[in-house]
Amino acid sequence: MSILILAEHHDGQLTEATAHVVAAARKVKESIGGDIDVLVAGENVGAIAEAAARLDGVARVRVADAAVYAHQLAEPLGDLLVALADDYSHVLAAASTTGKNVLPRLAALKDVSQISEIIGVESADTFQRPIYAGNAIATVQSEDALKVITVRPTAFDAVGGSSQDQGSAAVEAVEAGIDNALSSFIDERLEQSDRPELGAAKIVISGGRGMGSGENFKLLEAVADKLGAAIGASRAAVDAGFVPNDMQVGQTGKIVAPELYIAVGISGAIQHLAGMKDSKVIVAINKDDEAPIFQVADYGFVSDLFEALPELEQKL
Amino acid sequence: MIDYHAPLRDMQFILDELAGLPDVAALPACEEASPDLVAAILEEAGKFATGVLAPTNRQGDLEGCRLEGERVIVPEGWQAAYDQFCESGWLGLSLPEEFGGQGLPKLVSTPVWEMWFSSNMAFTMLPQLNVGQAEALLIAASEDQKPTWLEKIVSGEWAATMNLTEPQAGSDLAATRMRAEPDPGGDYRLFGQKIYISYGEHELTPNIVHLVLARLPDAPEGVKGLSLFLVPKYRLEADGTPGEKNDVRCISIEHKMGIHGSPTCTLSFGDNDGAVGQLVGEPHQGLKTMFIMMNEARFGVGVQGLALGERAYQAALEHARERVQGRNVVSGETGLPILHHPDVKRMLVGMRARLLAMRTFLYTAAGWFDLARHHPDAEVADRHRRYVDLLMPVAKGWCTEIGNDLCDEAIQVFGGMGFVEETGVAQLFRDARIITIYEGTTGIQANDLLGRKILRENGETLRELIDDIRACARSVGKDDRLTELATSLDEMLDTLAATADWLLAQGKERTAALYGGAVPLLHLLGTVCGGWQLARAAQAAQRQLDADEGDADYLAGIIDLARFYMASVAPEAASHARAVRDGGNVLAQFPETRL
Amino acid sequence: MKVLVAVKRVIDYNVKIRVKPDHSDVDLTNVKMAMNPFCEIAVEEAVRLKEKGVATEVVAVTVGPKAAQEQLRTALALGADRAIHVQTDEAVESLAAAKLLAKVVEEEQPGLTILGKQAIDSDNNQVGQMLAALTGRPQGTFASAVEVDGGADDKSLKVTREIDGGLQTVALQLPAIVTTDLRLNEPRYAKLPDIMKAKKKPLDTKTPDELGVSVASGLKRIRVEPPAERQGGVKVGSVDELVDKLKNEAKVL
Repeated sequence: MSILILAEHHDGQLTEATAHVVAAARKVKESIGGDIDVLVAGENVGAIAEAAARLDGVARVRVADAAVYAHQLAEPLGDLLVALADDYSHVLAAASTTGKNVLPRLAALKDVSQISEIIGVESADTFQRPIYAGNAIATVQSEDALKVITVRPTAFDAVGGSSQDQGSAAVEAVEAGIDNALSSFIDERLEQSDRPELGAAKIVISGGRGMGSGENFKLLEAVADKLGAAIGASRAAVDAGFVPNDMQVGQTGKIVAPELYIAVGISGAIQHLAGMKDSKVIVAINKDDEAPIFQVADYGFVSDLFEALPELEQKL
Repeated sequence: MIDYHAPLRDMQFILDELAGLPDVAALPACEEASPDLVAAILEEAGKFATGVLAPTNRQGDLEGCRLEGERVIVPEGWQAAYDQFCESGWLGLSLPEEFGGQGLPKLVSTPVWEMWFSSNMAFTMLPQLNVGQAEALLIAASEDQKPTWLEKIVSGEWAATMNLTEPQAGSDLAATRMRAEPDPGGDYRLFGQKIYISYGEHELTPNIVHLVLARLPDAPEGVKGLSLFLVPKYRLEADGTPGEKNDVRCISIEHKMGIHGSPTCTLSFGDNDGAVGQLVGEPHQGLKTMFIMMNEARFGVGVQGLALGERAYQAALEHARERVQGRNVVSGETGLPILHHPDVKRMLVGMRARLLAMRTFLYTAAGWFDLARHHPDAEVADRHRRYVDLLMPVAKGWCTEIGNDLCDEAIQVFGGMGFVEETGVAQLFRDARIITIYEGTTGIQANDLLGRKILRENGETLRELIDDIRACARSVGKDDRLTELATSLDEMLDTLAATADWLLAQGKERTAALYGGAVPLLHLLGTVCGGWQLARAAQAAQRQLDADEGDADYLAGIIDLARFYMASVAPEAASHARAVRDGGNVLAQFPETRL
Repeated sequence: MKVLVAVKRVIDYNVKIRVKPDHSDVDLTNVKMAMNPFCEIAVEEAVRLKEKGVATEVVAVTVGPKAAQEQLRTALALGADRAIHVQTDEAVESLAAAKLLAKVVEEEQPGLTILGKQAIDSDNNQVGQMLAALTGRPQGTFASAVEVDGGADDKSLKVTREIDGGLQTVALQLPAIVTTDLRLNEPRYAKLPDIMKAKKKPLDTKTPDELGVSVASGLKRIRVEPPAERQGGVKVGSVDELVDKLKNEAKVL
């Protein structure tokens, strides 16, 4: 049996997350074999399908190109997956807002459980996933014939891709005849920011209560601009009214695991650590050398942030 | 910022197993207090304390209050917190349903008010004044007056104050000078100055109702000439709404070491033609009303000691678990949190043991108030009333002193960081400092205990209490595993009984010497009561363990806390007793000129 | 329109969890339990819809052990009119929970069902979507705004959803399913008189058997472990040293 991956795309581009999910699928494949197919569903998604076809390890790209899939609404996408799922032992998607929205519908309609947000593959039916906001890691085994899985992209290194002239996977169209009378798209407002989205950024720089004010977050922005980093905040900074809640990194905010996380003026409350402790490298800048954040930081710099940040910006 | 989480497990254990919630819920007028409802109330109150009151505590301390002309500006967060507090109905928790309260017993309101004080002491003094004034009006106001004032006070729509102290009349109210002159219209006009009036002026509510102790023209000298008056900030229109400004103004506020968010005002009455007020109760009976309320008021301040101690303990524990410092004194191991240091652990275990002792003592006493008020058997009611009378000076004096000790010790756990204001424990220490002073200093509590509560009745209730505790020790001692607790408790009781015998055997000419030992006596009785309650707690925990109920780890911890108290606090009973006898003697002979 | 709101009893948000020594699960004995925070938001939204006159009745439902009635009472204190308790001591996975809720939806026929987007214990983020699929209703997940325009007899619902990188607004045919995200609202605190009234509001108890649903799951939890402890690293003395280490040692710049 084969593995099907629901591709993740935005604005006519295949997103990086898909390459991470393929990596997870390849780990599954190690124990059961079979092919890895990628499903690209959307409207005018030819270029996306071609990009998916170039991902290492992908055998076939199936393309459902129709207006009904244009905005990745859960109802038609779920039905499409149900129509295709019988050919597969595993269906995977990124644990993105799209994957999380759609995959449980497939699982319910096929009467199987879903395994959410896996961070490890032990075998074709056994996976690791975080529970309790990452404070425990559960190893779960599925006895269902079909495994429906969302994958935390940051937990798997992305597969590479071949260049345009090298060989790539077959691309074929899917005719499923799905319609959708239940829901309709009204509009979408994406953040007009040059910075990457917090949950997907490779580098995140966050400020805490030590920033002193919302105005002072400009110091972080200057560094973030140099690094192409997203900007986050601790709950204390949000509570103090410095920045809006959607910037919050922590147990109740966004959970991030970038390559590099820079915590500035953040003491390191447990709730905050829960949101960033899976980052690959953590840097802490704090004037209090006893701040708990230093206990998780790979590189700690005891310094007044108002001096350190301008200097850092200049030296980068 | 220091987080606060209501210690619901301890509260629930004490209510269910030790303070007699089932007995109180069986009393007439207390039937609402079923276990599941009480659990739900504590749970929701805990959320409110953590989510609404605690977050404004530090800011209120930093901001403080200021006087602008005659206006008093309180910390910015107060308005929203107060409105939400009142809208949520918390003010009326224990006040009568007739006036919009929920009429729940004191045993239920005590843990809830403990949470308010823990989360934000300076703020909570505001609604607490409403409760105090409502209790006074329930005792003394006429049937005509009650509906006009009580509904607004119980809902919190109007704020309340208590006006007792004057510059020359602090602990000694006999020196009160405030005048009240009958007005031809049937009201009274008040003239004079009151000081240390908490929340005497602010703009949080559309009216403020001052309850004022003053002297009528024909009043006898001293405390028997004091009458109570209601003086609103804004005089009421015919329809009962606030109208014209009364002749009362705030002329200054104090700059204090703590409770910065609570404005402490000097109020001037009658700078022009007199502040118009109504007489409450009979003429010259004002102090009698105040006396009826005194036990409630003292109890409330005792709860503040517990509450601040709890918050300080929570902060200290969290810090001791997180702060990594120093090396193990034996193994030299580094990288461990300071809780691993034996002395830090000693402080925290000692704090928790005393908290458990105070909480069990205070909640048990709260149950006595309910039993005294509602028990159908007059004899049972009377016995609990006498216990309340005897032990309220101890509840106030001892729990506020220990509360201060705990705030002090929490700073010690924090080390240098505790001396720095930023961590927030320093605020607790500063806020706590007033509680051994207001509502009667520790010295006044101790004098009351010795003079009015022991000597005057020839130690009758005290002996009854000693017998009760003796019976408890016997019962605890029947369990081999708890014998050491019973033995310690017995030793303390021997000390207390011997001290009581000695006190009562002294002649009148020796009375001055006895008063020199009054505060040590209060500490002695407090220490014994704490040990008594912890022995009961250990017994209840053992019973649950044997029945395989509850969390074994938690229950074993309760028994260990009782053991630690007996090992480290109980021995102080003997030194207190010594100070009562010998210290007082030396003092009596020591000429003041040698100071 | 009737609104059904599902709530879950979970470990209290503030409790630091411990893994059992035998690695079978997280140790939940005697830890403080509370309503899942996202469910609090769901209850708040339902109550606000009632206050706006959109909802005519708010029914709270939970699946769980006897003690989960505490969370139903909380929902009743916050403004729900009545409650349904599907009582079971079994561990109920998302699919079974969705099946049980689907039966309740079938019986109650709510115009709108609101759930939290995920529970902070299992962190699955599945039940709302599964319930939508099983009942054939549309779903508005991760809602940050819910708008029923035109009053109680309206046929559709506008839901603004928190998606990666922004917001998406969709129209759903009623009846529909909505799951809540953090920014949808700020839950209120229960008022004391309402806590007391909640005790007297109706609470029906059902069992999975009565609803004809098996709670057996195809998912087995093999073991639970604490996450790898992160060790503190080194302190650097200057910005130059920091930049150098990030470039040449950690190789992240």
